[in-house]
Amino acid sequence: MDLRDCRPADRARLNRIEGDRQQRRRLMELGFVPGQILRVLGRGATGGLLLAVGDARIAVDVETCRALRVDLIRAAA
Amino acid sequence: MAARPVTSPTTRRIPSPQPTRPAPCCEPVTDGPVGEVDPARHDARVALVGNPNVGKSTLFNAVTGARQHVGNWPGKTVHVATGTWRLGDRAVEVVDLPGTYSLLPQSPDEELTRDLLVDRGLAGRPDLAVVVVDASNLARNLYLLAQVLEAGVPVVVALTMVDVAAGRGIDVDAEALGRAVGVPVVPVVPRQRRGCGELAAEVAHALSHAAAHGRADAAAHGVDLGQPVEAVVADLGVLIAATPAVAERFPARWLALELLTEGPGAAHLADLAGTEAIHAAVPVARRRLIEAAPGDEPALPGDDLFDDDAETVVAERRYAWVHGVVAASVRRAGEDIVTWSDRIDRVLTSRLLGLPVFLLVMWGVFEATTRVAAPLQSGLQSLLDGPVGSGVGWLLTRVGIGTDGWVGGLVLNGLVAGVGQLLTFVPLMAIMFVLLALLEDSGYMARAAFVVDRFMRLIGLPGRAFLPLIVGFGCNVPAIAGTRILSDTRQRLLTSLLVPYVTCSARLTVYVLLANVFFGSSAGTAVFAMYVLSIALIILIGLGLRRTLFRGHTREPLVLELPAYRRPTARVVGLQTWQKLAGFLKTAGGIIVLTVTAVWLLSSIPVRGGAGTPGHTPVEQSLFGATARTIAPAFAPAGYGDWHASAALMTGFVAKEAVVATFAQTYSAAEPSDVHRAGQLGPQLVATFTHTSGGHTAVAVLAFMVFLLAYTPCMATVAAQRAEIGTRWTLVGMGIQLAVAWLLSVLVFQVGSLLW
Repeated sequence: MDLRDCRPADRARLNRIEGDRQQRRRLMELGFVPGQILRVLGRGATGGLLLAVGDARIAVDVETCRALRVDLIRAAA
Repeated sequence: MAARPVTSPTTRRIPSPQPTRPAPCCEPVTDGPVGEVDPARHDARVALVGNPNVGKSTLFNAVTGARQHVGNWPGKTVHVATGTWRLGDRAVEVVDLPGTYSLLPQSPDEELTRDLLVDRGLAGRPDLAVVVVDASNLARNLYLLAQVLEAGVPVVVALTMVDVAAGRGIDVDAEALGRAVGVPVVPVVPRQRRGCGELAAEVAHALSHAAAHGRADAAAHGVDLGQPVEAVVADLGVLIAATPAVAERFPARWLALELLTEGPGAAHLADLAGTEAIHAAVPVARRRLIEAAPGDEPALPGDDLFDDDAETVVAERRYAWVHGVVAASVRRAGEDIVTWSDRIDRVLTSRLLGLPVFLLVMWGVFEATTRVAAPLQSGLQSLLDGPVGSGVGWLLTRVGIGTDGWVGGLVLNGLVAGVGQLLTFVPLMAIMFVLLALLEDSGYMARAAFVVDRFMRLIGLPGRAFLPLIVGFGCNVPAIAGTRILSDTRQRLLTSLLVPYVTCSARLTVYVLLANVFFGSSAGTAVFAMYVLSIALIILIGLGLRRTLFRGHTREPLVLELPAYRRPTARVVGLQTWQKLAGFLKTAGGIIVLTVTAVWLLSSIPVRGGAGTPGHTPVEQSLFGATARTIAPAFAPAGYGDWHASAALMTGFVAKEAVVATFAQTYSAAEPSDVHRAGQLGPQLVATFTHTSGGHTAVAVLAFMVFLLAYTPCMATVAAQRAEIGTRWTLVGMGIQLAVAWLLSVLVFQVGSLLW
């Protein structure tokens, strides 16, 4: 699954980043490395997600969510 | 190369995280502005390096005081602030390098930071880097530190936001952190100037240490990336060290990692001689790295899924080091901390309220730059026209020059009027810059970009581009400067070309005057139509440019850090406003004064009806009037082929504020003090437009307003564009503006006059 399948309050573990090198590099320097736990904090007005990546808060759009392959650890209640 | 211990005890005196007394280092140092970064004026250079939003620039302001210089780095279009930092008895130059998340640059700004740190062949290389690390976001910040430690420059860490982290139950032990990263760590609170003294002492100590032991390049130690990586890096490092041309210029360890990960810095090698052996060794080394990596103590679960990319392996190893450092220096109250900033975000970025809140904020910005700015501007204008003007006039008469001659006229109507026009921009720009600083400093700007991203994508621009476009509704000049928030050069260029179509508040005054004269009770609708047309033009021209000049442009996906909300401080907002305002006055000043003077000269040189005294030549008989008369026929197809109208458009090229004044001048009417009441100007305008349009008055006026909307906004915008995108693109942009304006204006009149 990728991050598009996640909903607010979900926790997921990042498996791999798809997409081109440039995008992967940008994501990795922001803390998106395989194994990182991502917490979904909210969904924006236009479908993007607001994530907690460690202590950082990162907003990503739907296209970026597609590139982030994850395993769901804990679904929202 | 063996794995090095990451806990070398080089940390010296670490002050307590919350010193109670302001540090003594922070007095402003008298340091006049300089033209460019000048390497010769100080005995050492210190660079500030850090992620965006970590308080780096605030720290810069705290250690330099207000005396600093913001300008382009020599030979680059990257803006860099430099200042003087007093370290006890010595003064060093401190350079505030552009914020960056890593040393793998993706923009010219990041590239400058990377090059200055690693390239020994570059002038202006710092002797020491102060890496600003945000304690509330430690892991991500340490990732950059890990890379800077490879660059071969002595490093001191300034730890910011310790209080913010503590508020979230994250306790960062600066002393333990210093031991773990192997360089001095000094907690600072730049907003309150705390810790600056300790930081200065640490920097001074590190500088003298480096001076005594030679540059620390040899000791470029980097961080321990674990066995397979270290062995491969060591082997490649031996090859690099054996190639003098390369080893003299780049730190071996940094270059080895750059080559292995196919980083952008590897391209530097192309210029250097004798690199064949290195190039040949790289693919083998990379294979070794990738094959060995997964089996070796995976730093994080999921490691093994990523087996095809050396860059990922290295990034993971760096993060593994980061997690080790964090584990050694941080105590956390809980796992998933929900901050009050997160709670605010639940509202401000939510599906339901995100957009309404955004629109409300933008409405506030707009109101402040129009309704609040207007009385200040007109007050300043009347002060300059009245007391200041007559004061200078009195002075000129007093010294025997008088106000009627060429010299007196030039001073009064060129210099004083030009400076006056520049100064009336000041309240507007000040308000705009205060709002920008507030939005930025509070953290809302990033949320706004997230909220409107999807909508901006519809016109092919990233969410961040909304800012310059919105700002443009106030004034295009700061809007052009605001395109700098876009990381992609082509996006920046495209946005810069679109900003002039945003109808600014200066154009609004002309719309209001004309609409009140010609449309009476429908005036509001006519003005509103101009705003709708402006947005339509931005979208259509944006689409047009992307299909032609910007074809094949790939979109930048949105990945945006949202800094925690915080209360903006008066000091930060005030300083930012002042810096931007001073920058504006400097850039726009010359052009505006020169063009105002040029227009006065044109209108003072008589071409017909004998020699008048300067300033008393009727406009109609001046060179200006003659020029307007010459170009007037070009506007006949648009229904306003009259010299009054073309004269107004000519001065409108200088500044839209001058359009109404030119109308008044050409009709020898008093300039209306309130654009809602045109006074004696009204009937004369109606007569002209009725005559030129053959009775289709309203349509001709609409066509005129459309031209006014779409052509070059003002000289100041042109000046700003030239600074941002260069002369060639500025001229291309002007060409498009004039073509679009004329064609659209003619279209409106030709079609409109058939219908009405």
